[in-house]
Amino acid sequence: MPSDASAQEIMAVFLARDLKDKEHLMVGVAMPVVEAAVRLAHLMHGPNMDLIFFGTRMNVAHLHSLPLPAFAWDHRVVRWAESYSDTGHRFADVRHWRKRVFFIGGVQVDPHGNTNLIGVGPDHAKLRFRGPGSVGTPTLSTHVGRYYIVLNSHSPRILVERCDYRSTFGWGDGGADARRKLGLPGGGPRYCVTPLCVMDFDDEDKHLRLRSVHPGVTPDEVQAQTGFPLRRLPDTPVTEAPTDEELHVLRTRVDPGGRLRRM
Amino acid sequence: MEPGQRESRVIDEVTAAGWIEDGMTVAVGSPTPMALLRQIIRRGVKNLTVIDVGLSLDMLIAAGCVRKVVSYYAGGGFGVPVAPAFRAAAQRGDIQVWECEEGVVTSSLDAAAQGLPFLPWRGGVGTSLPDVNPDLKVFQDPIGGETLLAVPPTKPDVAILHAAMSDAYGNVQHVGGPGWLDLFMQRAADRTIVQVEKVVANEEIRKDPWATTIAGADAVVRVPYGAYPFYSRGFYVQDNVHLKTYLDASTAAAGGAAAALDAYLDRYCREPATHADYLERIGIRRLLELHEY
Repeated sequence: MPSDASAQEIMAVFLARDLKDKEHLMVGVAMPVVEAAVRLAHLMHGPNMDLIFFGTRMNVAHLHSLPLPAFAWDHRVVRWAESYSDTGHRFADVRHWRKRVFFIGGVQVDPHGNTNLIGVGPDHAKLRFRGPGSVGTPTLSTHVGRYYIVLNSHSPRILVERCDYRSTFGWGDGGADARRKLGLPGGGPRYCVTPLCVMDFDDEDKHLRLRSVHPGVTPDEVQAQTGFPLRRLPDTPVTEAPTDEELHVLRTRVDPGGRLRRM
Repeated sequence: MEPGQRESRVIDEVTAAGWIEDGMTVAVGSPTPMALLRQIIRRGVKNLTVIDVGLSLDMLIAAGCVRKVVSYYAGGGFGVPVAPAFRAAAQRGDIQVWECEEGVVTSSLDAAAQGLPFLPWRGGVGTSLPDVNPDLKVFQDPIGGETLLAVPPTKPDVAILHAAMSDAYGNVQHVGGPGWLDLFMQRAADRTIVQVEKVVANEEIRKDPWATTIAGADAVVRVPYGAYPFYSRGFYVQDNVHLKTYLDASTAAAGGAAAALDAYLDRYCREPATHADYLERIGIRRLLELHEY
């Protein structure tokens, strides 16, 4: 087992394995782990995947390497686009989004996978921290077949007992029927992946549960960095390590600049 | 009786910016119509409601033009998660944020364009959006009883867009398509100003009428490099060095050191009387370096 994989590489490989061929993978801004993960999946086992970066849709399985772009609207890095969403309504076909997989970050994430990009503070007119805004996450999280919450860091400031504001509804106040009761057609959040661990949702009440810890991390360390009591398994497994081949493809064809090793 | 002449809609950037008055609602498209935004800053327009994203929004706020923001995303780029002047002004309570998201914005603009009191939207159901934006109402649809958001119209007084070309009569054609919200903005707005890289002959437009994206813009402004320091598809890429200079100045100002930001706004927005004066400050050498390929 390669022992030198970074936490971000482990995250990317974990996500890549969970993505299936023929899915439509939509990636937003400022998510380098996810950008690497979808490319890795595309090269390893997903020749029929559609990759959607911002408003750019492409299939680039024929290319040898898919380095990370610096800026996705720049013509020099989107030259492989097969289509752009900008010519029409981005959200005119949400009924076809069952095949779509999305990834979301957050200023705050709560135990039921609700996320917040609005900000932090009791008074919305004068937030203590003003976030960037919800982008398209309320609509995407409503309709996509499933999504992943992917965090660049794991701390009790981010993983909080209650979000000050909800910009996406994950599992609400809990319960497997929470989304159905509100009429939200999408499948909801599947995993929350951080530099320390992978969390899934308890089947019944949809509370975050520690699924696995990355190599070298203990469950108690994860709990100490989490702002609420995590569900625990009797024996927490270690996140499956990348294979030699996965790391080789990741490092030579997806992330030759080593961005995921420097975060 | 003489039939008269078809009127040209080409006006200069100073005249066009004069259409923007204090307190108006202004929709800003993509590619970013910076030549006109700089003129708005130069005129010192106040209390605008602005539909915009990113660093152009940030610059309008930094220059004191904005009272209310309709924005689904105000990231700074370059690893800066939130545009600095936007963040600081919102935290001080100097600007009001009409909290929304992409689907709510399109519904709101479509409601305006279609003359409807609201359009329904599902994205945002179960979230805090209707709590922090009381204009959004949760309702049960009268057909099937589903829970939805009622999104009221946002009616821009003026939409300001940037495109590749137009003829003198406002028949606009893009290279690489308009920004994803541009046509929503144009349909919703009372008037639309399109600034273009070049004004072409009417015959040039007639060669391919299918390529016309906006039929009859109210005004056309000829400003080559008018989206600089942002990109203009088919012409030039964005100047990341220049944008980073702005972002650093805005970040410093948000932290209390306003000198660099004031100097930036003076040098690039307030002092140059025309777009040509501005381009002289950037320099031909830099502009030519940004050629797309």
